[in-house]
Amino acid sequence: MNRRRLWTLVRREIQATFRDPFTVTILVSVPIGALLLFGFILATDVKHLALGLYDGSRSAASRRLAADLAANKTFDITAYPSSDAIGDALGSGAISVGVVIPADFDDDTRRSRPGAEPPRIQVLYDGGEAALAGNAEAFVNSLLQASAPALGDQARDPRRSVVPGAERGGGGIGVVARAVFNPGLEGTPFMVAGTFGFVLSFLTTLITAVSIVNEKLAGTFEQLQVTPATSIEILLGKLLPLGAVFAFDVALMVVIAGLVLRVWPEGSALLFVGVSAYYVLISLALGLIFSATSATAAEAVQKTVLFSIPLVQLSGFLFPVRNMPTVVQWLANLLPATHYIKISRAIYLRAEGLGSMMPDLLFLFVCGVGLIYYARRVIEARA
Amino acid sequence: MSRWRTFVSNVAAIAYKEAAIIRHDKAFLSMVLIQPWMMLLIASYVLSNKPADVPWAVLDQSHTALSRRLVQSVQATGYFLRPQTETSYESARERLREGKALVVLVIPQSLARDAERGEPRVQLLLDGSDPLSAARIGGYVSQVASSFQLRISAPVALDPDRPIRSAGPIDIRQRFWFNPTLADREFFLAALAGMLLTNLCLSGTSLGLVGERESGTYEQMLALPIRPIEIVLGKLVPFVGISYVLMLFAIVVPGLCFGIWPHGSWLALFWTTLPFVLASLAIGVLVSTLVETSAQAVFITVFFALPSFVLSGVMMPYQFMPHGVREVGAVLPLRWYQIACRRIIERGGGIIETAGPTLAMFAIFAVLLALIRWRMKPRLG
Amino acid sequence: MNTPIIQAHGLTKRFGDFTAVDALDLSVERGSIFAFLGANGSGKSTTIRMLIGLLRPTAGTIEVDGVDVIRRPRRVRDHIGYMGQKVSLYQGLSLRENVEFYAGLYGLTGEELERRWTALRERFDLGAFEKERSEDLSAGVRQRAGLAVATLHRPRLLFLDEPTAGVDVHNRARFWEIIQEEAEAGVTVFVTTHFLEEADYCDWVSFIDRGRLIANAPPEELRSRFSQGYRIDIDVTAEERPRVLQRLDGAIPAPELTATGLRVRLPKLEPEFLGRLEQAAKEAPGARIAIEQPAMTDVFRRVLASVASQDPRGAP
Repeated sequence: MNRRRLWTLVRREIQATFRDPFTVTILVSVPIGALLLFGFILATDVKHLALGLYDGSRSAASRRLAADLAANKTFDITAYPSSDAIGDALGSGAISVGVVIPADFDDDTRRSRPGAEPPRIQVLYDGGEAALAGNAEAFVNSLLQASAPALGDQARDPRRSVVPGAERGGGGIGVVARAVFNPGLEGTPFMVAGTFGFVLSFLTTLITAVSIVNEKLAGTFEQLQVTPATSIEILLGKLLPLGAVFAFDVALMVVIAGLVLRVWPEGSALLFVGVSAYYVLISLALGLIFSATSATAAEAVQKTVLFSIPLVQLSGFLFPVRNMPTVVQWLANLLPATHYIKISRAIYLRAEGLGSMMPDLLFLFVCGVGLIYYARRVIEARA
Repeated sequence: MSRWRTFVSNVAAIAYKEAAIIRHDKAFLSMVLIQPWMMLLIASYVLSNKPADVPWAVLDQSHTALSRRLVQSVQATGYFLRPQTETSYESARERLREGKALVVLVIPQSLARDAERGEPRVQLLLDGSDPLSAARIGGYVSQVASSFQLRISAPVALDPDRPIRSAGPIDIRQRFWFNPTLADREFFLAALAGMLLTNLCLSGTSLGLVGERESGTYEQMLALPIRPIEIVLGKLVPFVGISYVLMLFAIVVPGLCFGIWPHGSWLALFWTTLPFVLASLAIGVLVSTLVETSAQAVFITVFFALPSFVLSGVMMPYQFMPHGVREVGAVLPLRWYQIACRRIIERGGGIIETAGPTLAMFAIFAVLLALIRWRMKPRLG
Repeated sequence: MNTPIIQAHGLTKRFGDFTAVDALDLSVERGSIFAFLGANGSGKSTTIRMLIGLLRPTAGTIEVDGVDVIRRPRRVRDHIGYMGQKVSLYQGLSLRENVEFYAGLYGLTGEELERRWTALRERFDLGAFEKERSEDLSAGVRQRAGLAVATLHRPRLLFLDEPTAGVDVHNRARFWEIIQEEAEAGVTVFVTTHFLEEADYCDWVSFIDRGRLIANAPPEELRSRFSQGYRIDIDVTAEERPRVLQRLDGAIPAPELTATGLRVRLPKLEPEFLGRLEQAAKEAPGARIAIEQPAMTDVFRRVLASVASQDPRGAP
C-alpha cells in the first residue's frame, strides 16, 4: 500500500465532502437533532399530563389526595366545578385524565380498615389513547391505594404523619426498591445512549451509499479503478476520512448530550468514542456494499432506508431485544447495531467493565473485518 | 365550464402517465410491496414493552422455606429466567453492572422473624438503565411480594387488580409504568396505517418531481399547455390510489391475523384518510421544490419522516411531551391522523368524532398547497 | 520491438442472453492511432473497457504491452491513460485540484508536476479554467481537460472512449491535432468514436457492428475497396480539354466528358496520377480541379451491406 496514494485519496474525499454544504449540514444537524428528538422528547419521562380534578368532598383527606397528585410535576392539575365539566374537558382534549372525588370521600376513608373496600374515586380518561389511559389509571389507582390506609390512619390520629415507607399490609411482603444505576429512573440517559447507535447506523450508511453511487454515475469510480490505486487504498480512502468525520460527530454528540441534556457517560468516554469509531467503519462498509447494487442515488437511499427501519426497531434502540420472540431475538443478535447499542448503554449507564462486554466487542470486531473484506471485494469486482 | 374540463383532462393525462411510470419502477414497487409486511411484522411481534426472559438474581440471606417460596412465586410469573444465586451484596451489584441481571431480590436473614411480627420486608435492586423495563419488572416483583400469602404453601397467581405496595424514591415512576393491561400490539397497529402512508407519500412524490427535473422531462412538461398545479395534482392521483390500498392492508391484515378490527365506522376511516394522504403527498411535493438533487430529496424526507413519527404520537403518546414540543407536533398531518385512527379503531368513533382531526388535516393541506403554488413557478429559473 | 502493443483474440462478452462483443480479433501497432468505429450500442465501449481490465471478458485473450490483462489487470495501470465517455472530473473540485489528485495517484508531484502541468495547460489551452469548478466547465473544455489528465503521467498507451462526443467542430479538430502529436511522439492511441469521418485521422480503422468486427484496415484501403472511389472534376475549356486528356492518358480509365470539362473516377489516388494531374494543371492554367473523397459514412454503409449479404443474420 502506497501512503502517498492513500493520502491523495483521503485528501480529495475531505475536500469534496466539506465543499458540499448540504452534506455538511446533514452531518452536523442530524446527530444533534436525533439527540434532542430522542433524548429530550421521546425519553420516557412523564411530566405535565393534563389532569382535571373535581373535588366533591373538599375534606382534609381529599385535599391531601389532591396534593399528592400534584406532588412531583407528573400532572398539571386544573380544577373543575363538576364531573360533567370534566367529561366535557376530556372530550375536547383539554385534559387527558379526569379524577372525580365523590362527596362522601372523607366518610369512606374514616371507615376504612386494612383489607376493606378502598374509597371510591372515579378516574376518567380519553379512551382513544389506550397506552395513556392504562398508565394514567394505574397510576392514580395505585396512588389512591397507597394513600388510603395512610389517610385512614390519619383520620384516626391526625398527629401521625404519613410516612412514605413500607406499607403495613394485611398479608403480603413489603418491598423496598432501589435502582442501582440511574436511581431516578430518568428516561433520558437510556435514550441518549441508544441514539448513538441509531445515528451511526443510519446516517453513515446513507451518506456512503449516496456518495459512491454518485461517483459511479459521474464515471469517476471507473476512472479510479484504472489508476494505480489498489482497492484497499480506494476503500480506505473513503472509510478513513468519513470515519474521522463521524468520530468527530460522536464526540460532538457526547458533549452536547452532556451540556444540554446533562447526560455524561458513566464509564470511559475515550473507550466509548473508540468503540463508536470502529462501529462507524462497519456502517460505512455496509453503505459501500449497498451502493454497489444500486444504479441511482435515490435507489441507494431507498435500499438503505428499507434496511435501516427494521434495523432500528430490532436493535433494541427503542424496545428491549429481550422482549421479542425468540426467533426475532436471533435475528436481532445478528445485527452489529444491536451489539453496539448494548455496548453504548453499558458504558454510558453502568460503566461496565471490558471483561463482560467482550462477547459484544468481539462480535463487532469480527463483523468489521468481514464487512471490510467484503467491501474490498466489491470495489475490486469487475462485471 | 370548459376550463374545468381541460383541468380535469390534463390532470387525468398526467395521472395516467405517472401510473405507467410507477408500474415500471421496480425499486418503488418492491418497496411498496415489502415494507407494509415488514412493518406489520415489526409492529406485531417486535415492538413490545412487556418484559420477557428477564435475567435476575437472588441474594437469599434467609434460606428458609418462606424465602424459597417467595422466589418460586416470582419465577411462576413467567417473565423471568431461572434466577442466578448471589452470595454477597458486592457480587450482586457487579451482576447488575455487567448487565447479567436486571433485578436482584435481596432477602434479609430476618425474613421469617419479621413475618412473625407482621412486618416482613425484602429489598429489590434494579438496573435503572432502561427505566421503563426497570419500573415494570420492579412492579411485577413487588406485586408478587404484596400478594404473597405468608401461610399458604402454594404460590399465588398474579392478580392484576391488586394494587402494588412498595416504597422508596422510585415509587412514583414504578407505579406509573406498571400497567399489566397495556396493549402494546394494539397501540402500534392502530398507527400502522399512518406510518406506512407517511413513508409512501413522502418518498414517492419528492423523488418523482426532483427526478423529473434532473432528467429534463420537467422542462418538457412546462413547455406544454399545462399549468404547474395540474402537473402536481396529476402526479398525486396514483399515489392516492396506492395509499388507499395500503390503508386497507393496514386495517384488514391485523384483523385477519390478530382479530384486531376497528370498532368504529369504516366510512369514517376512509374519509379521514383522504386529507391525510393529500397533506402527506403535498409535503413530499413541497420538499421536492426545495432541493436540487434527488438524493437530497430522499434525505430530507427520510429525516423528516422520523421526527414526525416521534412528534406525532405514534411511538409514544404525545400527551407526555413537554408543552412547546406538543404543539409543534400539531402541525404534522400524522398527529391528527393517528388521533382519528385511534378514536375509530379503539374507541369506536365515527365521522363526528373524527371531524376535528379531519378538518385539521384539510387545513394543513390547504396551507401546503399555497406554499407549493408559491414555489412552483411556470418557468425554470 | 515490433510486436503489436495490443493483441486480442476471440474477445467475447455476453451479458446474459445478449452478446455485446462477439469473437473480436484485434491487433494494434505501437505508435499508431487505432480507430474503433461503430454505431451507438455496437460494443465499442464494452471492448475498450475489457482491454483496460475494467470488464472481464466471457471468452478470449488480451495482451496489452506484454501483460495478460485478464489475469493481471493492475499491471498495466501505470502505463495507460484512459478517458471514459463521461469525463471523470470530481465535482466540487477545481480543474487544478483534479489534476493534482490524479497526478498524486500516479506519483507525480512537486516540481515535476508543475512542469508537466504547465506544458499541458499551455498545449490544451486550459489556463483560463484552472480555478473553475469542474461542473462549471463547458463540454469542449471538459473534454480537453479529460485528455490532459489522461496524458498527465506520460502513458505509453491512451485509451479514449468517444473523446469528441458533444464537442463542437472547432474543438474536435484541435483534439485530433493533439492526438496526432501524441502519436508522433510514440504514444499508441486507441480511440472509439461514432463520428465516421474521424477515421481519416487514424492509421488503422476497425468497424464494429453488433459486436462483430466487420472491417479492419487502414482507411485508404477501406475506401478503395468499399466505395465508388474518388471523383475528380476537372473544369476546363473545350480547347484545353484534349490536352489534359492526353496528359492523363494511361493513368486513368475512360473519363466522362461533362459539360464543364471532364470527370474521372479512381479507386485510389496513386502518386503517378497525381503527378500527371499537377502537370496538366500547369499546362492549363484556367483549369479548376475538384477532388471529392468518398465519405466514410458511405464506405461504412457499403461495408455493412457486403457483410449483410454474407451474414445469415440478415441486413442491419
